[in-house]
Amino acid sequence: MSGIINFSNVMFKQLQWLIIKDLRIDWRTKYPIAGILLYITSLIITSYLAFTGFINPETWNALFWLILLFVSINAVAKSFAQEEDRSSYYFYLIKPSRIIIAKLIYYGIYQLLLIAIALIVFSVFLGFPVKTSGPFFLNLILGSLGLSSAFTMVSSISSKTNNNSVMMAILGFPVIIPILLLAISNSKILVLGGSIADITANLITLLSVNVIIIALSFILFPFTWKS
Amino acid sequence: MKYLIRTKWWKWLTMAILVYVVIGGFLFQVPRLPILNETIRVLHFHVPMWFGMLFLFLASVIHAIKYLSTGKVQNDIMSSQLAVVGVVFGILGMITGMFWATFTWGEPWSSDPKQNASAIGLLIYFAYFILRGSIQDEQQRAKISAVYNVFAFAALIPLLFILPRMTDSLHPGNGGNPGFNAYDLDSNLRKVFYTAVLGWTLLGFWIATIKIRYKLLLEKMDD
Repeated sequence: MSGIINFSNVMFKQLQWLIIKDLRIDWRTKYPIAGILLYITSLIITSYLAFTGFINPETWNALFWLILLFVSINAVAKSFAQEEDRSSYYFYLIKPSRIIIAKLIYYGIYQLLLIAIALIVFSVFLGFPVKTSGPFFLNLILGSLGLSSAFTMVSSISSKTNNNSVMMAILGFPVIIPILLLAISNSKILVLGGSIADITANLITLLSVNVIIIALSFILFPFTWKS
Repeated sequence: MKYLIRTKWWKWLTMAILVYVVIGGFLFQVPRLPILNETIRVLHFHVPMWFGMLFLFLASVIHAIKYLSTGKVQNDIMSSQLAVVGVVFGILGMITGMFWATFTWGEPWSSDPKQNASAIGLLIYFAYFILRGSIQDEQQRAKISAVYNVFAFAALIPLLFILPRMTDSLHPGNGGNPGFNAYDLDSNLRKVFYTAVLGWTLLGFWIATIKIRYKLLLEKMDD
């Protein structure tokens, strides 16, 4: 019994350490976060200038998810690209499955924060026409967690190639489409005033796709990490 | 796959089946239906392409998993070559489908959910080949692309089997369109169709074995 407690203690300590390490790196370098914030604002202002005057709720929804997609791919792309030269010293110390869990948690939170900011800026410029907001946020959280975990895994793959940023888009976009389609269609129903009962089945599908992606990342990541 | 490379009898079987499918598919009686008319015969050529593609991709994933667990180069070669043939089958399925759609739906591309999903599915596998091309180190390439192969197949399943079912499709059997069962009262179509699926799938594996043997020989020459 004490062995199990000890084991899980070690695991939590390592997870905590890995997450704090990522947080510190982001805090010290600062420019990636500042860059992504600037990216969000300029993307939204550009779309505001392009769409102002004739935006209806359906377009609002589609545009919002497109912006989320681009923010997410740019934010998460760095998750493993930044590990290249740092990885060596904890390579032998920590199990790869823990590294991926820590990354998934950290980038899940990171993504949610960015999306909260994006949503605020977006609604300042383009309004907030959502009729059923509670389920809308639930769907938003599930969808963006799916995006961040899929992109985290794709980032671990693309960081091994020569042309990291292009490969990220090529590998990531087709893989992400099931999640994106589910989330966009749910979100459209909610924006137009549907209730949670209309999307329950879709929401469960979305959740299970997320679970599959997280489980696969957990199983497959050790192979990419060790190579 | 090793068994298929070693043995020969199934190639004769493939030939016999395909002769039957081509003759039967073009000459047997088919139900007379409005709009569809004779285009119903595409069933024996278009649908088996998708079945063949799925079986080839499935075999490709199985070999990718085998590669990850054993690390043998031949498994990587099998996995990649099966994926190549799978993509060719997918493209053929798409072309035959678009050809058929021109005569029945009025245009080659009508943004049907199944059409869109299969186009994205093919994009996933094109990305797989680009990934293979972008890594120089052979062992690394094999490992990373095997990982992506498994990941891609897992994304392909909801894409082809879950999402198109959520919205109405123009395809027979979806969205209130009559399906297979409604057309085929005397099971004439079925006799040819099931053998066609088997025949075209076997042909795909045949092509794959040739490509695999060629790559294995190249590998041997390098050593």
